[in-house]
This record gives sequence, structure tokens and C-alpha cells, in this order.
Amino acid sequence: MKDTDPDVELLARISNNEPAAVNEMVTRKLPRLLALASRILGDADEAKDVAQESFLRIWRHAASWRSGEARFDTWLHRVALNLCHDRLRRRKERPLSDDDTAALVDTTPSLDEQLEAADRSARMAAALAALPERQREAIVLQYYQELSNIDAAALMNISVEALESLLSRARRQLRSQLADTPGLARPGRGTS
Amino acid sequence: MTPERFAYLADAYGANLERWPLAEQGAAQALLNSGNASAREAVHAAGWLDAQLDSHQLAFLDPALTRKIRQSAPRRASFWSRYAGWLSPAGLVGVGIAGIVTGMLVASMSVPLPMVSAEVLPSVFDQGDAQVIFSVNAEDTEQ
Repeated sequence: MKDTDPDVELLARISNNEPAAVNEMVTRKLPRLLALASRILGDADEAKDVAQESFLRIWRHAASWRSGEARFDTWLHRVALNLCHDRLRRRKERPLSDDDTAALVDTTPSLDEQLEAADRSARMAAALAALPERQREAIVLQYYQELSNIDAAALMNISVEALESLLSRARRQLRSQLADTPGLARPGRGTS
Repeated sequence: MTPERFAYLADAYGANLERWPLAEQGAAQALLNSGNASAREAVHAAGWLDAQLDSHQLAFLDPALTRKIRQSAPRRASFWSRYAGWLSPAGLVGVGIAGIVTGMLVASMSVPLPMVSAEVLPSVFDQGDAQVIFSVNAEDTEQ
């Protein structure tokens, strides 16, 4: 937490209204924000909205950002996560439809390999969407967003032990769900 | 590290030890290097799930979204827009003053002067140019 925050210098440049800094921030953070929101919400359009709203917060806070309190990336994850929570609340845990899941997948057709990859991706998206919200959040933050266990736990307002428990349960459920999928052979080891 | 602890961490964090808690990485690697069968099996199982997780692809970035977000950022203010806040009221005041002055000038020129005698209102127009020049030169020479 105390090491140099790589985003601070960029924020200072954004507060000076440097167009190049704006572009760099978008390049740096947009894929991460979209990945986070897409996987938490399971809806590509809603994920785009969350990304846009998150960036508006970035522009608003760039000038007043004070380094040392929290890493910018962690703060940004918190912002995006809160926006996702708002939407999930509004949606009242509406289960994902097949259309929603398909919207998350790159469906570039043509070659067999691409089709197979898209198929596997769709299965994974469905399995992810079927996880309880907190378990999904834990997997997304720790695995996909590559946050440290401390940062992920802090974002979820839980202890590291509680995070590990959520991760274990999530991975166990994913394993059993995906293993039931035809064509996906699971290695011999049973779940612990 | 016990094989049980290793299996627990593999279940939580996956097969890549670099993603494990920093404090546990060394001991975990040592157990793996020792050839512990249970640890290897745990890594193998976790690796399978990691591969499934990695298969989840996301849609490509939408260039329109990128553009929209870039445009939502505050822009560098130009010279004129930076001072627009006080330039426009100042400009209005200036135009107002200029209008008043012009109006006064036009009014004063269009209204005929009251007839006054030459004694009250001496004017250079009362004498010819030559007279003025000569009188000025005469003064100069006197000095």
C-alpha cells in the first residue's frame, strides 16, 4: 500500500486537462473496469454504463486526489463495485438470461476453434453467473482483476480468511458445475 | 507447510503460486519442490479450473465507448473560454459606455448652438488662417 502508486502522476496530468493523460487513463483502466463490471453484472451494456460512470468519477476526483490514503486502482474498483451493487439491487437479483450471457462473449464466428472457444467461454460465463453474488465478487476481484487478497478483502469489507472461504466455495462450485458439462473432463482429484 | 494447508490455498487462489499470499509462497514452493504427491495433485486440479476461468472471453472494446469516455473528460480551456466568465460582462459594459458616449456626441452635433456673440465665444474661425499664423509668429519673434 505504501509503494508508489503508478496512477498518481497520471491523475495530476489529468487535473491539468492534458488530453494525452486522459487517453492513457482510458487505455489503462477501461478494459479492467469493463471486465470487472461485465463479470459481476453479467451484462455487457450495463457494464459499459458502469465504466462510463466510473470515468466521470475519475475526472471529478483527479484534481483533488491525495496519494497515500488508498491506491487509486483500489479506489476505482470500489467505485465500480458500488455502481455494480446499485444495479444488482435495482435488478433484484434477476437471473441471467441466455441473451445476457451471450452478450459477454466474443462471438467472432467462422473457424471451428473460435466457435469452440466461444462455446467454452459461454459455459464459463454461465457458471460464473450462477455463483452466489459474494462468491462471484471474490473470484472476479482476486482471479480476474488480480487484486491482492488484502485489497480484495478490503473492498468486500471482509477478512482475508473470509475471502479465502468465499474463494474456496466459489471454485468448488465452479468445478462441479463445469465438470458436469459434456466435453469438459475434470482431473481426478475430488473437492476438498 | 502441511499438504492440507497447501490444498486449502490451492482451492482458494488457484495453481499459480505467485497469486498466493506472499508470506506463504516460499513454503508452498518448497513443498512442491519436495515432490509431495498431494501438493502436485492440488496444483493439477486448481490448474484445470484456472484454464476454465481463463476461457471466459469478454467482448472486444467498443471504439464508440472509448471515444465517448474520452470526450466526457474535462478539456483544456482556451484563452478566450478561460476569460469568458469576466470578459463578457466587461464587454457588455464597454459597449454600453461606448454607446452612451456616441449618443452624447451625436446629440451635441445635431443640436444647434445658441446664438452667442463673438465676444462671449471667441473662435479661431472668426479670423482667417493667415492671421492666426502671423499672430503666432509675431508672438514668437517677440519672445
